[in-house]
Amino acid sequence: MLMVAPALLHAALWIGLPVVASVVLAFTKYDVLTPPQFVGLDNFKEMMDDAVFRKSIVNTVVYTFFTVPFGMMLGLLVALALHTGLKARGIFRTAIFLPQVTATVAIALVWLWIYNPSNGLLNALLSFVGIDGPAWLSSTTWALPSVILVGIWQGIGMKMLIYLAALQSLPKELYEAASVDGASKARQFFSITLPLLKPATFFVLITSMITAFQSFDQIYILTEGGPANSTTMMTYEIYKSAFREFRVGYACAQSLVLFVLLMGFTLVNRRIMGGTRGHN
Amino acid sequence: MATTELHKPGVARPPRPTAKRKPVTFGRIALYVTLSAVSLLMVVPFVWMVLTSLKTPVEIASQDAGLLPEHWDFSNYTEALKAAPFATYARNSFIIAISHTVLNLVIASMAGYSLARIRFRGSEVIFYLFIAALMIPTYTKVLPEFLIVRFMPLAGGNDLFGQGGSGWLDTWWALIVPGAVTPFAVFLFRQFYLDLPVELEEAARLDGLGEFRIYARIMTPQVKPAIITVALLTFESSWNNFLWPLLVTRTDSLRVIQVGLSVFRTENGPQWHFLMAGTTLATLPMVVLFLIGQRYFVQGFATAGLK
Repeated sequence: MLMVAPALLHAALWIGLPVVASVVLAFTKYDVLTPPQFVGLDNFKEMMDDAVFRKSIVNTVVYTFFTVPFGMMLGLLVALALHTGLKARGIFRTAIFLPQVTATVAIALVWLWIYNPSNGLLNALLSFVGIDGPAWLSSTTWALPSVILVGIWQGIGMKMLIYLAALQSLPKELYEAASVDGASKARQFFSITLPLLKPATFFVLITSMITAFQSFDQIYILTEGGPANSTTMMTYEIYKSAFREFRVGYACAQSLVLFVLLMGFTLVNRRIMGGTRGHN
Repeated sequence: MATTELHKPGVARPPRPTAKRKPVTFGRIALYVTLSAVSLLMVVPFVWMVLTSLKTPVEIASQDAGLLPEHWDFSNYTEALKAAPFATYARNSFIIAISHTVLNLVIASMAGYSLARIRFRGSEVIFYLFIAALMIPTYTKVLPEFLIVRFMPLAGGNDLFGQGGSGWLDTWWALIVPGAVTPFAVFLFRQFYLDLPVELEEAARLDGLGEFRIYARIMTPQVKPAIITVALLTFESSWNNFLWPLLVTRTDSLRVIQVGLSVFRTENGPQWHFLMAGTTLATLPMVVLFLIGQRYFVQGFATAGLK
């Protein structure tokens, strides 16, 4: 059909071709100026000895491990609070969702300023209670937690919203029946709400993980991977390999590892969650 | 169940177990306090951004300055506009975001329509290809996308084989074309077109309308929520995009606002009063758009999540 042709053509050129090229280039040495050279598994072998890339994998996993489950827990709690039918819930929802529509670059810049050691907001607040705050982003101990905090903060809105939408579609009769049977609120939550939220939970988990794994903007602005690679992420290493060191083949191999890890996590999650999907 | 009987007119209504208007209890106050605290935490960085943008550099540097500016100094905005071409950056971002929105609406709605309403050979396969495309991480394709732009044949001094020049680098083409259609928009449009009644289509066909006219005149006006949703989400992601414009532009005249901000940070050192003024300017359009189109934004994000 002619009407689908433009979209299909666009996807073939800007998604299909790049994906294939990415896989092929992962097995080459390529600096953009000279033609790619097939090198077999050399890129992958090198990656195994690359301590910085290993560090970036660990950081990416740690970042995801903290931003996703904690963010989901907070998102669910806020959604449950908003679901109780408060009068001002529109205002609360708007406030909590606001960071989601704001560019990560803008958000990171504001946090860069909040974390400023000499006169940033955070240390100013801490000094009120007599604490001498650290130099958040230039301390190898505090830099990663600081980046994680921003990640959790920005992501709550989206998670809250999807949970809220899911909560509103739950059948009310079940709860009425449960209260008649004398089930406590806590009991209702654990034996009705939580199981019924499974498709939403799976969806939030997968999309948040994909987002977390691909975080780049905040790292670029907040820390540029430092200090001493303590906050570098896989995406930042890929960017560095390709656009600072002009090693496109190596960068493609790195992005292939990112892709495989992401797919692996998604499949494992599906197994654990019993393969539930969103309803139509 | 018994509850339906109770709502019949004339039957005295006992208080419902899940009544909306609850008495003011301790738990309810606690809920309000907690939600207010959470909301405050979400908004404070924005407030501080605006307040900082109105302070003088001296006040920002001083250790014991208050939260509020001593005197409200709007000159940071005019100064920031002079220090970096924020107006140009913003204009560029607008042109790109609007182009993306229009192109995505037209192309994705056509694709979504034909996938939802027209049976043709391979439509299933094409639909699954779009679904697969949805799941591909940005980083798996961004490097080759860059190479395609760089080696675009017959552009920017390139020959037929893409050699010799700089291709689409530093051109509007690179900024607009690759992100013009999103598989997500195709998917969303398809879902909305699927829900329309068959009768509508049949009546139009009886009137002798061609397929394209049925799409343009009859069906598309029925999916306004989809149009608004896709428009808002496309504009949002285009306005907020950072990595792609960073990769494909070098010159100031083509820089978009997010890239402009990041460059401003590194080149001039952190001049917080300017930087926060610029950040406020970059944030404002999205916040305004969000507040105006909130219902659709929220609906769009929620639909994206559950459909």
